[in-house]
Amino acid sequence: MNLTLKIWRQKSPKDKGRLVTYMAKGISPDMSFLEMLDTINRDLILKGDDPVAFEHDCREGICGSCGFMVSGQAHGPLKGTTVCQLHMRHFTDGDTLVLEPWRAKAFPIIKDLVVDRSALDRIIIAGGFVSVDTGSAPEANALLTPKDNAEIAMDAAACIGCGACVASCKNASAMLFVGAKVSQLALLPQGQPERERRALSLVTSMDDAGFGNCTNESECEAACPKEISVRNIARLNREFLRASFSHPAK
Amino acid sequence: MSWFTKALKSSVGKKFVLGLTGLALVGFLIEHLVGNLLLYKGADSFNGYAHMLESSELILPAELGLLALFLVHIVLAITVTVGNKSARPEVYSMYASKGGRTLASKTMIYTGILIFVFLVLHLVHFRFGVQSLDAEGRRNLYAAVLALFRSPVYVAWYVLAVCLVGLHVSHGFQSALRSIGVNHPKYAPALEALSLLFGFLFAIGFSSFALWAHFFKGGS
Ligand code: HEM
Ligand code: FES
Repeated sequence: MNLTLKIWRQKSPKDKGRLVTYMAKGISPDMSFLEMLDTINRDLILKGDDPVAFEHDCREGICGSCGFMVSGQAHGPLKGTTVCQLHMRHFTDGDTLVLEPWRAKAFPIIKDLVVDRSALDRIIIAGGFVSVDTGSAPEANALLTPKDNAEIAMDAAACIGCGACVASCKNASAMLFVGAKVSQLALLPQGQPERERRALSLVTSMDDAGFGNCTNESECEAACPKEISVRNIARLNREFLRASFSHPAK
Repeated sequence: MSWFTKALKSSVGKKFVLGLTGLALVGFLIEHLVGNLLLYKGADSFNGYAHMLESSELILPAELGLLALFLVHIVLAITVTVGNKSARPEVYSMYASKGGRTLASKTMIYTGILIFVFLVLHLVHFRFGVQSLDAEGRRNLYAAVLALFRSPVYVAWYVLAVCLVGLHVSHGFQSALRSIGVNHPKYAPALEALSLLFGFLFAIGFSSFALWAHFFKGGS
């Protein structure tokens, strides 16, 4: 199949950037989207041009490295799919596709389709973990976890931190990401000791990074390759309010 | 900063208060709609009800409370919306929804601003504009309603405005619940349906007064 691609090219964070048109010829429907870009880049390199920069690692939909907008949709048109797992058979011969990087104040563009998502890392550093003393693993049955809670926590923990929620939100809000991180630990016994401090510091870190507020549109849930539920946002609101009132620190 | 101001100033805190004020305003609209139904009972009931409200000792605190609700809601709504815009300084050259977004959810600030314009005119016309008295010496609001809705332009503007209120609430109610942390698979679908129902109820209910006055009470 043959496609027309309009790809955002931006040399550096300071560069203005613009959409450049490329023709993708002889694309196999069995290729993944990133393999299709690989063929474009091979041609560019052979011509001595700068290849299109995009992030990727596992190409299995589990690492969260990849991600850009395909014709205005985060990770492209398919639900529950990262762009590395999106295959060309979902497009039609002759399609024109627009590829743009995630756009948010908190995600400055590094080059082409690559953005700096370290704001998400800083949120995790602010407390999105459980502190444990190293030593031998505790006896498995020492920590009792209700099965239902474990299921919801696991669903939240499926977040791969790709940033599609921020990219698809009209407000560039990171509430789904933070909601997932807070929920995943608030529902498990291991997360209890730091539960309140975590809710407070994650929200503070999120606000400091310049993400927007949540309008409750649920566009993030629809764009999330792991289909994380917006219920985690409601839980984040509860956790934050609860912690604000009850955390011992003044 | 105290823990309280810190919580209020956070994104979650601002949306919490925006949601609470929105819910309170929805409560006010329910009361307003039910009260206005007395129009259908006739001049005596309607003017009597209005007089009862206006001569109550609680009218001043109630009106000040409403004013505060509106002011807090509007100030927070604008703050939140400005913050949201600045969170994405460079917009996409192409954007397509993957699901979730609705007409109501993406136009909250625009419907809100139009509601504000409507509100000011509404107060000028009905709260401050009507001075004539009925036979019993009460403000004759019933006659004022019929007189104002004689104009088809006024009816059209009023119906448009209350439909925008309905649109605002159809997303606002469910959004507010989520903002204050209320969401559970057991009852979320019912509350979402209730949100739509409130939207339709306000749009149809308030429109009905204008249309009734115009078409059945000698407006035209
Ligand atoms: C009777 C009048 C009104 C009612 C019943 C009402 C109700 C609501 C409710 C329930 C919400 C949801 C809050 C949340 O998401 O937490 C909301 C949001 C909002 N309201 Fe109102 N509102 C009214 C008037 C106004 C006015 C006059 C404005 C003027 C600017 C306004 C602007 C907004 C905006 C911008 C939002 C959404 C903010 C966001 O999350 O993106 N509203 N409203
Ligand atoms: S490259 Fe790892 S999720 Fe796409």
